[in-house]
Amino acid sequence: MSNLTTGAPKVAIFVQQLINGLSLGSLYALIAVGYTVVYGILQLINFAHGEVFMIGAFGALTVSVVLFQGNTALWTLPVMILGAVIASVTTAVLMERFAYRPLRNAPRLAPLITAIGVSVFLQELVRLNYNQVPFTTWNPFNLPDAKSLIPFPQIDVVTGPAIQVGGVTIQREAIFTIGALIVCSVLLWWFINHTKMGHGMQAVSQDKDTARLMGINVDRVIVVAFALGAALAAVAGVAQGLQNHNIDFHMGFLAGLKAFVAAVLGGIGNVAGAVVGGLVLGVVEAMATQYIPGQFGGSPWKDVWAFVMLILVLVFRPRGLLGEKVADRA
Amino acid sequence: MMKILTLPQAVVAKHGAKAWPLGLAGAGLLIVGSLLSWSYDAQVLDDLSISLNPGGLQIMAIGFAALAIILLLARKGPLTPLGQWTHTAKGLHAVADWTLIFMVLVVAGITSEAGGLVNVAPGAWISLLGAVVLFAASRLVVHRKYRDPAEAALPGWIEILVIVVVMAAVLFGTAYALNLTDAWEFVLFLVFVSGMVVAASGAGLLSWLGHVTTRRKRVLILAAFAVAFCFPLTQGGSDANMSIASQVLVFAAAAMGLNIVVGLAGLLDLGYIAFLGSGAYVGATLSTSGFATIGWKPPFIVVILVAACFSGTLGLIIGAPTLRVSGDYLAIVTLAFGEIFRLTMFNLDGNNGPDLTHGPNGIPAIPDLAFGSFNFGDTHYLLGIPLARFSNYYFLLLILLAFVILVFHRLNTSRIGRGWVAIREDEKAAEAMGVNVFGLKILAFVTGAFLAGMAGAIKAHQDVSVTPDQYIFLESAFLLAAIVLGGMGTIVGVLVGSVILKLLPEKLRFFSDYRLMMFGLLLVLMMRFRPEGLVANRRRQLEFHEEDEELAVRVEGDVAEGVMEV
Repeated sequence: MSNLTTGAPKVAIFVQQLINGLSLGSLYALIAVGYTVVYGILQLINFAHGEVFMIGAFGALTVSVVLFQGNTALWTLPVMILGAVIASVTTAVLMERFAYRPLRNAPRLAPLITAIGVSVFLQELVRLNYNQVPFTTWNPFNLPDAKSLIPFPQIDVVTGPAIQVGGVTIQREAIFTIGALIVCSVLLWWFINHTKMGHGMQAVSQDKDTARLMGINVDRVIVVAFALGAALAAVAGVAQGLQNHNIDFHMGFLAGLKAFVAAVLGGIGNVAGAVVGGLVLGVVEAMATQYIPGQFGGSPWKDVWAFVMLILVLVFRPRGLLGEKVADRA
Repeated sequence: MMKILTLPQAVVAKHGAKAWPLGLAGAGLLIVGSLLSWSYDAQVLDDLSISLNPGGLQIMAIGFAALAIILLLARKGPLTPLGQWTHTAKGLHAVADWTLIFMVLVVAGITSEAGGLVNVAPGAWISLLGAVVLFAASRLVVHRKYRDPAEAALPGWIEILVIVVVMAAVLFGTAYALNLTDAWEFVLFLVFVSGMVVAASGAGLLSWLGHVTTRRKRVLILAAFAVAFCFPLTQGGSDANMSIASQVLVFAAAAMGLNIVVGLAGLLDLGYIAFLGSGAYVGATLSTSGFATIGWKPPFIVVILVAACFSGTLGLIIGAPTLRVSGDYLAIVTLAFGEIFRLTMFNLDGNNGPDLTHGPNGIPAIPDLAFGSFNFGDTHYLLGIPLARFSNYYFLLLILLAFVILVFHRLNTSRIGRGWVAIREDEKAAEAMGVNVFGLKILAFVTGAFLAGMAGAIKAHQDVSVTPDQYIFLESAFLLAAIVLGGMGTIVGVLVGSVILKLLPEKLRFFSDYRLMMFGLLLVLMMRFRPEGLVANRRRQLEFHEEDEELAVRVEGDVAEGVMEV
């Protein structure tokens, strides 16, 4: 993106990269919430959360292909998002029930290794069986082959020609993504602070045993935490599909890893921190491609800088920008 | 299977006496059936169609029957002295289960390969009937008290003979399995081996073998290396299997290095492949390949040391700041490091950075190693048997693996190893007791990286080219899986895990689409049902089953007797 520099005024370039960064960061933030909520309660890095995000995107695509057959009117978008949320939440809840719950009291290595296994399994499941029932070639809905990139339906209004504001190009997808983050954050804030279940989640993340004694159903809270993270990841999946114009089975790996960086950056376990961390990470990446001079500044290096930042944060401020809300883990 | 299919107590009490004759009858039927023709179609499963000339699978069925007969005769008959020491009932259960699985799969295999159930000849049906009868009989067998096989004292030469026989069986079995080209035959052979191992373990023979091998460690190690050394000689100059075998060795050496980090020190490293990769890149850039970007061409012995030191330094750079953070964070930092490494190698192509690695194209045309006049690319002869390119690398890698195992073992049994155990089990307590937690963690991390660098330098020559996509995250996950599958912190376990994870995909080509999926599922199921791995270290087992009091007592007993190393 550094070729934008030619001729444009410096402020415009900065604002341009800020908007690029915020739209990228909104995606990270939406996914990062899922890591942080689960970590806050279970102290588990749900490594397969990136796959939940990917399955969200495929859920939306499936709804679009099966129900709307190429219709890209704006009213189909909410239905697609609903489909994405259902796919993601189902995956996350099943994952919690069958992979993680049996390991509740196992040594810490065990759930992490399980998470890697779940991640590989889900990727392969989508890659091989998205368009065919396992071990057959039966494809009832004529779904596309997931072994390569699949074009994602471009919905009217939220995609299309970019908007020009005083030398700054704003993609419509970016507005959608940032808007989705704002709406989701408000809903999440309301859920955590103004519902009984939200209070329960806070209690469980502070002290699981005491919360249980106070009559909170800890198992249910954990399931809700997984579902909540999955729902936001599903929205992110749709946003990613709209932004990149296509999706593939492998999209969850890097996005998930970046989102985890964002969660750590904001202070893992801290929901507000995940949102802030995501936005900061996105902006830093965008700025790095613009302002790091020489050969190491181009977009091929932006992922490297993101990971370098993760290492630096962990070394100098392991509690993250906003601090870790959970107590020290022994 | 054993839990689902247990008969009610009353039935067992009433008909228990019939178990012995019934079992012998079943085993007899199995043998008779196996001597007859199994299939009308001579083309399938390596010709099972000739009576009184059993093929490979029929010999396996006879093997099952023989084991069943031995166990039955150990209960009542001439072998009763053996019966005192073995858990015959459990062994019989396992033999019967696996024989039944084996025979059902044989019938399924003939049906699918020859195209129809009509191709199954009466012999197979008789064998299947024998398996069913044996299965029924095994359910009627009641558990009997048996003495701890650890107390069995046999003359020394018998113990050594047993080790030699077992090792020879391993050599013969591996060579046989590698030469099987048919997928069904291969799967059935795996079923046979698994059945035999499970049965032997159920009967307590494995635990006896375990005690024997602890007593005769030197003999075991010597025999194991003799077998590994003899393996290329069984291949008759064919390099196809040796190519797989040398890949297995690279993988095993890397897994063993990672085992120091994960298995001993308990640090989860998800970017370990980067250390192997950096070793390979150093090996490639300092080689005489026309595409190498550095002019310095030292002899290989220097290259391998440079590669190891370079990887070790990377380990130090990445480990020193991050080893202070808690375990989960370390996992992610190492994962990020792995990605940084891969992306950097990908980007240093001359456009996005200095041209060091040729980016995605990598460094091709790395010449074969040569020590003096001994070129690894040429075919050499030992005792008249030709040993081609991969056999040469195989021997070199065998030396490397032996070195890695030596390092692993010496560290594990030293003061350092005990420090690692302490850190793994309770870091804070270890620190309070004066263990230098940070120093020991760094040591584990750097040692692991150093060994991976050595393996990488050899791998570069063996693979001929080095590209970034050989060092993706999935490879790190595979290495980790080998350790988890085999048994963290053990030597035998990790070797077994490496062989399984590298060999199975090569042999199960028809399965290749689903192999990654099965791999993911395998990790999940292992963590759920046997987190300590196939070959469990007792202490490890205890860490995963903290509430198991009986196990705790046994572990303490073993430590007190000095049978187990701490």
